[in-house]
Amino acid sequence: MNEMNCNDCATWLHPYIDNELEMEMSVRVSQHIAKCAECKAKLAEMQALREGIRQQASYHPAPELLQQRIMSQINQQKSFSAKKWLAPTISAAALAASVILYFAIPSGQDMLVDEVVSSHVRSLMEQHLTDVASSDKHTVKPWFAGKIDFSPPVYDFAEQGYPLLGGRLDYIRHQNVAALSYKRNKHIINLFIMPNNAGDSSVHSTSKRGFNIVSWQKNNMKFEAVSDLNRQELEAFAQMIISQH
Amino acid sequence: MKARNESAKRFEQLILPHLNAAHNLARWLLKDAVAAQDVVQESSLRAFAAIDRFADGNARAWFLTIVRNQCYTWLKASGGRHYVDIDDEAMMHDQDLVLVSHMETPEILAAKMQDAAAMQRALETLPVPFREVIILKELEEMSYKEIASVTEVPIGTVMSRLARGREMLKKELLAKL
Repeated sequence: MNEMNCNDCATWLHPYIDNELEMEMSVRVSQHIAKCAECKAKLAEMQALREGIRQQASYHPAPELLQQRIMSQINQQKSFSAKKWLAPTISAAALAASVILYFAIPSGQDMLVDEVVSSHVRSLMEQHLTDVASSDKHTVKPWFAGKIDFSPPVYDFAEQGYPLLGGRLDYIRHQNVAALSYKRNKHIINLFIMPNNAGDSSVHSTSKRGFNIVSWQKNNMKFEAVSDLNRQELEAFAQMIISQH
Repeated sequence: MKARNESAKRFEQLILPHLNAAHNLARWLLKDAVAAQDVVQESSLRAFAAIDRFADGNARAWFLTIVRNQCYTWLKASGGRHYVDIDDEAMMHDQDLVLVSHMETPEILAAKMQDAAAMQRALETLPVPFREVIILKELEEMSYKEIASVTEVPIGTVMSRLARGREMLKKELLAKL
């Protein structure tokens, strides 16, 4: 076996002290260090540095409240679906009570709209508008294949003044959904598409937290378009998609 | 409904035990107590949402991968103030930092290594890609393989970043006398 030189030793020194080397290489490093004062000093120094980090760098455990906050959010998501499901099966009195409860908590559509708006805001804040940035529907549409189990309609309306920016995967109401982003002048439109077995329905507009939301249902898919664009233009955008789809 | 209870249970068993590791990593990467909590909360909800798709394996590495990605997203979104990109290629050929000044001031260096405030400052000045491998290695005691999976780079890159990161840390400790 050839002798290890100081250069090689420098390369293997770190995995050596981290116990990441194969036995043979580890032995070669030890043999070199036993004979080389300089590398031996280097090793001691790096070991001291490691000790220093372990002993002096602060460890930041999660605050107690953070865990509580996370668990309560998770349990909320969990119990919401449970309440709705159980309601018809329990006694009349309890049913009456649960009806009140049912109205006290937001409806499925409200929660959907809420999540859609949050996701829209997040996509702008995080500058994570698109996973596949393309104005070419033949690029965006195939990108979704294999990522979701439905095939969202993808169209570009650049000529009409609504260019397609791209697509991304998002997660709404506990399922993977397709999100397409479009631009109208300075406004970004996020179009969320998710599978849904309800019958077709025409456009319905609402607003929430200053955003306009236009919803409709077609071909077993639910569409939610969100933007700070005015309602007329957002509805016009919805009609263009419906007429193509 | 049953499925959701199952998911919550899986989350409690697999993810919750690593909440401290998640928070520690986020706190070190973001250097911001409020942002670290927000990022861990967001990451937890993402992990919960995807927990059914997590096959058996290393739950800690899986969760920390999500946390790290969320941290990077936050760093980029915060206007690049905290975000430092590195060029691995350049780094690999940049040997001049290595093998400098290891004998000159052993006493001072030894003292600095045991000075908590100095260590804290020095670690915080390291660029994120070097800081994260050191935190994962020394504070979470992860293997190169686990670190590679969390940071989504080859093991060789983990090795070179650790080596480079430690040298930089040493230099930083000596720089602020």
